[in-house]
Amino acid sequence: MSSDMSTTRHPSVPPARVLGADVVVSGGDRPRIRRRTRRRLIEILLVVAALVYVGPFLFTLLASFRTAGDIAADPLGLPRHLTLDNYKTSVQEIHYFSSAWNAVLLTVFSCLAISVVGSMAAYPLARITSRLSTAMYRMFILGLTVPVFVIIGPLYLLIRDLHLLDSRFGLVVIYTALNLPVSVFFYTSFVRQIPAELEEAAAIDGCGPLRTFFTIIFPLMRPVTGTLLTFVSLQVWNNLVIPLVFLQDPGKSTVMANAYSFADPHTLQPTQLFPAALLGVLPLFVLFLIFQRQVVSGMTSGAVK
Amino acid sequence: MLQRSRRTWVLFLLPATAIYGTFILYPLVRGVLLSFTDNTGGPSSNFVGTEQYRKLFDDPQVVDALKHTVLYAAVVLVVQTGLGLLAASILARRPRVRRVVSNILLLPALISPVMASFIWSYLYRPDGGINAFLGDIGLGRLQQVWLGDPSIALFAVAAVNIWMFVGYSCVIFLAGYAGIPQDALDAAAIDGANGWQRFRGIEWPMLAPALTVNVTLSLIGTLGVFDFPFVLTGGGPMGSTSTLTMLIYRDIFTRTDFGQGAAAAVVLLVLVLVVSSAAGSLLRRRERAI
Repeated sequence: MSSDMSTTRHPSVPPARVLGADVVVSGGDRPRIRRRTRRRLIEILLVVAALVYVGPFLFTLLASFRTAGDIAADPLGLPRHLTLDNYKTSVQEIHYFSSAWNAVLLTVFSCLAISVVGSMAAYPLARITSRLSTAMYRMFILGLTVPVFVIIGPLYLLIRDLHLLDSRFGLVVIYTALNLPVSVFFYTSFVRQIPAELEEAAAIDGCGPLRTFFTIIFPLMRPVTGTLLTFVSLQVWNNLVIPLVFLQDPGKSTVMANAYSFADPHTLQPTQLFPAALLGVLPLFVLFLIFQRQVVSGMTSGAVK
Repeated sequence: MLQRSRRTWVLFLLPATAIYGTFILYPLVRGVLLSFTDNTGGPSSNFVGTEQYRKLFDDPQVVDALKHTVLYAAVVLVVQTGLGLLAASILARRPRVRRVVSNILLLPALISPVMASFIWSYLYRPDGGINAFLGDIGLGRLQQVWLGDPSIALFAVAAVNIWMFVGYSCVIFLAGYAGIPQDALDAAAIDGANGWQRFRGIEWPMLAPALTVNVTLSLIGTLGVFDFPFVLTGGGPMGSTSTLTMLIYRDIFTRTDFGQGAAAAVVLLVLVLVVSSAAGSLLRRRERAI
C-alpha cells in the first residue's frame, strides 16, 4: 500500500482526503511533494483524532491528580496543583493491594488450569476423526455463545451445595469452566496444524502419551498459549459478576468487585472515582505496553482464519 | 497416523469433560428444569408447569427488558461495526500510522466495563464533563441529564459500550484487510475503478469473514450485557435501561426467586441462540455466495 494508493477516492475518508486525491497527476516534483505533505498532514490528523477518541481516558488520567476543588471550579481545565492524595484515599477505600493480589492469584491459577486442561482435551479432539469426537468438540464450542447469566442461578446453587462459596478455589474452577470453550477452540485448531510424525517418533523412542504431550506438543503450542492467556487474563481480571456473586468476604475479592462495592460512581467525587478506575486498569496497561503484539493478536485472533 | 489406545484419549479428555460437564452443562440443564418449578433456593420445590413463563410475559417490566436488550444489541451492533469498518478502511491505506492509531483505539477495550462505567458516569453527570464541554463550545442547548432521562439513558449506556469496543472491531476489520491481495486492488485501480467501486466490488465482499466475526462477537456480548447498565444506571431511570441479565440478577440474588430467574435465563438463552445462529447462517451464506 504505497503512494500509488493515494489516487483512491474512498467513501469513508474525510473531506480533506478527497481533496488530496485530485492532485495526483504524475509529473514534476512539486505535486509529489505537495501530495506527500498532504499525506503527512492527514496521518497526523488521524493520530490526533484517535487521541481525541480516547480523550475521556486521558481526561481521567489528568483529573486523578487534581484536587476536588480544582475540578469543581473548572471540570475540563488543566491541573494547577498536582496531588497524589486521591490515590492514597482510593487505595484504602477499595482495599487495592489485597484486591489486586487476589485478582492476580485468581488470574494466574485460572490461566494455568485453562491452558493445561483445554490443551489436553484439544489434543484428542484434533487427532481423532470420529462422530463422537466431533460431537464433543461441538459441545465445547456451544459454550462460546452461552452468556454466563444463563447458568448463573443453578451454578450458584451448585457451588453453594459443594461448599465452594467464598472460596478462591471455587472461583478458579468457575473461570476454568467458563473459559474452556475458547481454550478448546484455540488449541484444537492449532494442534491440527502440528504434524503427527513428531509424536510417532517420540512413541518409537518409548515416550509415553502424557510425556509426549507435555514435553513435545505443549511447548509447540506456545504462541497459541500466549494468545489465549492474554485473552483469558483480560476476562478474569476485568470480570465483575463472578466475584460479586461467589465471594462475600471483601478480603478475598478482586479489584473490580471491591471497586463496585466500595466506590459508588454516582455520589463519589471524581477525585475519588478516577484513581480507583485507573488503579483498576493499571496492571493491564503495564502488560499491554510490554506484550503489545500478543495482546492485540490475543484480542483479535480468529478473525483472520 | 499414530494409534493411541482408547484409554489414553479418555485420560486426556477427562479433566475438561468433567469440569465443563459439572459446571456448565449440568447448570444449563438444571436451569431449564428449575424454570418449571417454584424453587426459591431451598432444597425442595414444586413443579408448576409453565407458570413461571406465564408470570414472566405478564410482567410489563420483563417485556420492556426484552425490548431494551434487543434494541441495545441492535444499536451497538450497527454503530460499533460501522465505526470500526470506517476506521479500518481509512487505516488500511495508511500503513505508516496504522499500528499506532489502531493501538490507541484499542486502549478502551482493555479497560474493564466497570472502570469504563466509572469514567463515564462522571462524564454523564449533569455537572460532569460532557455538559461542561458542550457549554464551553457554545452548544449548551444540547446539554442533557444523560443517565437520568428515560428516553436517552439506554443510548447513553450503549455509547459507553460502543466507545470501548470500536477499536476492537477496527482491528478485526484490519486483519480482514490484510488478507485482501494487493494485486486485486491494483488491478481494479488500473481498470479505473474509483474508491467506492473498489470498496463495494472488492473490499466489502472480501471482508465478509471479518464482518461475521464482528457481528457474532458483538451479538454475544451485547445480548448478555450486564456490567454497563448495572454500574451506570442500575437499570433506571424508571427501568429504562433494565436488560434481561439485570432481571435475572434481581430475581435470583435479591429476591432469591430461582424459578423465576431460571425462566428469564431460558428466555435469554433462546434469544441468544436464535439471534446468533440466524445471523451466523445468514453471514456464512453470504461468505459462500461470494
